[in-house]
Amino acid sequence: MKILMIGTEKLPIPPILGGAIQTYIAGTLPYLSKVHDITVLGISNSQLSDQETVNGIRYVRVPGMIFEIYKEHVVKFVEANKFDLIHIFNRPRLVLPIKNVAPNSRITLSMHNDMFNPEKISPEEATAVLEHVSQIVTVSDYVGNVIRELYPQSSAKIRTIYSGVDSERFLPGNHPKMQKRRNEIRKAHGLENKTVILFAGRLSDNKGVDRLIRALPDLSKKFKNLALVIVGSRWFSQEGISDYVAYVRALAKRLPIPVVTTGYVAQDEIQNWFAAADLFVCTSQWQEPLARVHYEAMAAGLPIVTTARGGNPEVIIEGVNGFIVKNPENPKGFVDAISAILSDKSLMKKMGEEGRKLAVSKYRWDRVASELLKFWADAMKSSVTELKDINPISFEQPEQVFMTKLKDKVHAQPENTKSKESEKKKSKKDQKKLDKKLKKEQKKLEKKLKKEQKKREEKLKKEQKKLKEKSKKDKKRKEDKKKKSA
Amino acid sequence: MGELIIEPWIVDETTHDFFVPEYIENLAHQVLKHYDLSVRNMQIITTKPDKGGAIWKLDTKSGPKSLKLLHRRPTRSLFSLGAQEYLVKVQAARVPPIIKTKDGKNFVEAGGKLWFVAEWIEPLTPVSKDLEGAKQLCYALGEFHRLSKGYVPPQNAEIASRLYKWPKTYEKVLKKMDWLRNIAKAYSDMPASSHLLNGVEKFEQQAIQSINSLNQSSYYDLVQQGNAYWGLVHQDYGWSNGQMGKNGMWIIDLDGVAYDLPIRDLRKLISGTMADLMKWDTTWVREMIAAYHEANPISPQLYEILMIDLSLPNEFYKNLKEAVYEPEVFLNEQTAQLIQTIIETDQSKWPVLNEIKDDWKGVKTK
Repeated sequence: MKILMIGTEKLPIPPILGGAIQTYIAGTLPYLSKVHDITVLGISNSQLSDQETVNGIRYVRVPGMIFEIYKEHVVKFVEANKFDLIHIFNRPRLVLPIKNVAPNSRITLSMHNDMFNPEKISPEEATAVLEHVSQIVTVSDYVGNVIRELYPQSSAKIRTIYSGVDSERFLPGNHPKMQKRRNEIRKAHGLENKTVILFAGRLSDNKGVDRLIRALPDLSKKFKNLALVIVGSRWFSQEGISDYVAYVRALAKRLPIPVVTTGYVAQDEIQNWFAAADLFVCTSQWQEPLARVHYEAMAAGLPIVTTARGGNPEVIIEGVNGFIVKNPENPKGFVDAISAILSDKSLMKKMGEEGRKLAVSKYRWDRVASELLKFWADAMKSSVTELKDINPISFEQPEQVFMTKLKDKVHAQPENTKSKESEKKKSKKDQKKLDKKLKKEQKKLEKKLKKEQKKREEKLKKEQKKLKEKSKKDKKRKEDKKKKSA
Repeated sequence: MGELIIEPWIVDETTHDFFVPEYIENLAHQVLKHYDLSVRNMQIITTKPDKGGAIWKLDTKSGPKSLKLLHRRPTRSLFSLGAQEYLVKVQAARVPPIIKTKDGKNFVEAGGKLWFVAEWIEPLTPVSKDLEGAKQLCYALGEFHRLSKGYVPPQNAEIASRLYKWPKTYEKVLKKMDWLRNIAKAYSDMPASSHLLNGVEKFEQQAIQSINSLNQSSYYDLVQQGNAYWGLVHQDYGWSNGQMGKNGMWIIDLDGVAYDLPIRDLRKLISGTMADLMKWDTTWVREMIAAYHEANPISPQLYEILMIDLSLPNEFYKNLKEAVYEPEVFLNEQTAQLIQTIIETDQSKWPVLNEIKDDWKGVKTK
């Protein structure tokens, strides 16, 4: 079968800049391409050529970053090429324009987050999209259920295919291939003889690492030799540090245990940090689709503490490969869950082993690929719909603000995967160079940070001087008043 | 214009006041070539080194002008420039007219930023720092808001709007209260920490109250009217950006304008002025609102929102939110004193708000 897989306008494929969707595509391609004739359409990148065929897979790369521009190029490509099936990743708004130029192809969708929500796609367009796609696959039951709630008619078309992990790359720290790296990392960062708690993710209020940091004073009273490792790249950003990062830093500074913050870690080195850790904690506060880090932690043989938010609990068997924190706003939930693991060494070991087992038996890419192949085969059995009345359907960006939504909104909206400005910039020949560059930029930003600190101090001094003068004046006024009344 | 990208710059002991990196000076000269002006002299007036912005005063044959390097994203700056043009051309407001380039444009793009030239209004004198001055400011602000209604930004500009963001902003205030509490606890050895905790206990409750009030108010109905209906807020209005000229009050520095409920500017002006007085004063607040109302009538619904916005712990939030940056420096004796002052000033706020809360009952707007 001739199949076209279409990525998003944000990040290139293969995942040289990371990204969950891009990792998903790259992980399944080796298996899918053995069965089908596959073309991957994605965005161009200076490190990648615009047209190439690698291992029998054809890659076509067009300008992206902005949805409307990407859409235009995608439509042009689809118009000029024929496919039996077109599989679109996480962009329901591409469906109708594509259907319009490929009326005889089956169209399937892969949903990775909330792109069906009304502020992302108008209900009118969404309804038409759901009519014209053959099938929809989601990365968690949670993602599927949100679509079902919004559009009950879609229910029968939706199924969950959990993502996967390269269990040969993510390995437990005691695996012969990993022991050396584990020891090197632990030595280099003063983590020898420590029980290392790992957090990996964006430093944002949504992801909630502050709750873990606030749980640590209590935990460190109960358990000796704890250490925290935070793998996440937003300690420094282009606009200086965000107030959230400042807050987390300030809290971390006062912890009685060592805190290692890695900053940016290159894609092909992340597994080493998992291997160096002893326990994995996900602190997400928002309704998250299902964070990939869970699979990676499992493969690395780490016991997992995660939160009852979004799809995250779906890959945890409570008490077997980890624990689920019911009320993640309260740090105490993390104290309890982490304590339960740390206080029982045999349970801790068992959980890690169970996690590894699960990763190998359930969450490998070959399993994801075979489910996807079945999914496509089923999609081919569905009848091709006919696109009528295309004109009245608005392809426009839906209104940004839905007042009803605004009023009811409790949880923060997930952020789109954004490639960092610095990552976008300029051509680099390979990952290492990119890595080097990022490190350099980090240094630059540290410098900027220092400068900012100095500025703040000066501002503070000025304000305090003003205040002093004010209170002096005030005092004088009061005294004058006294004199007068006297 | 070339590959240069303007970035924030460092100022330290070795640089003089209003230092601007040479490459930016050079860009400024390049930019001026796009104008039909014979510049006799140019002088740097102010800089924003941390953001990458600057203003020069130009002495030209056709009188004094200002040259501005706008630090914001170009698409954001387009929104503000469009507003400035709308106010001058369509509404004949007293804001500085933009000088066109030789090819008839409002701006020049250089170094990845927008630059523009406008009339330098002279003479401008600040109004007196008393109630009379405050009333003049309020009247001028109302006028500005009224004239800004109906503005539609150019096609390629991004829409700068805070209109729909009030609930989010209020929630953020509440969230930061929790952050501040945790910071105060983690830094309990610092002189200001116990004061900060006291402040949080007090003001967190106020923030919750304000959020509840906002949720029950007509806010959601009001914003349905949309951006253009409400017009623009200045966002940085006060004794320096509203000044008296020959033929009335002028409003300058429009770079940060955004769509919003207009009374947010008024609220800021009132709460800031009360902070300067270190005491809330019913007469001042009433007369400031009345002066504004005269120029831009406030409906009873909008008055209710104004009361709610005044009820938010604005001064505490504004002054203490910085504590998450370097608390080991920030939470010193002076900050302790600052918190005390804010708490004391807040005491006098509630009787005032209570006294004026029904002022608009039964008032009909034209």
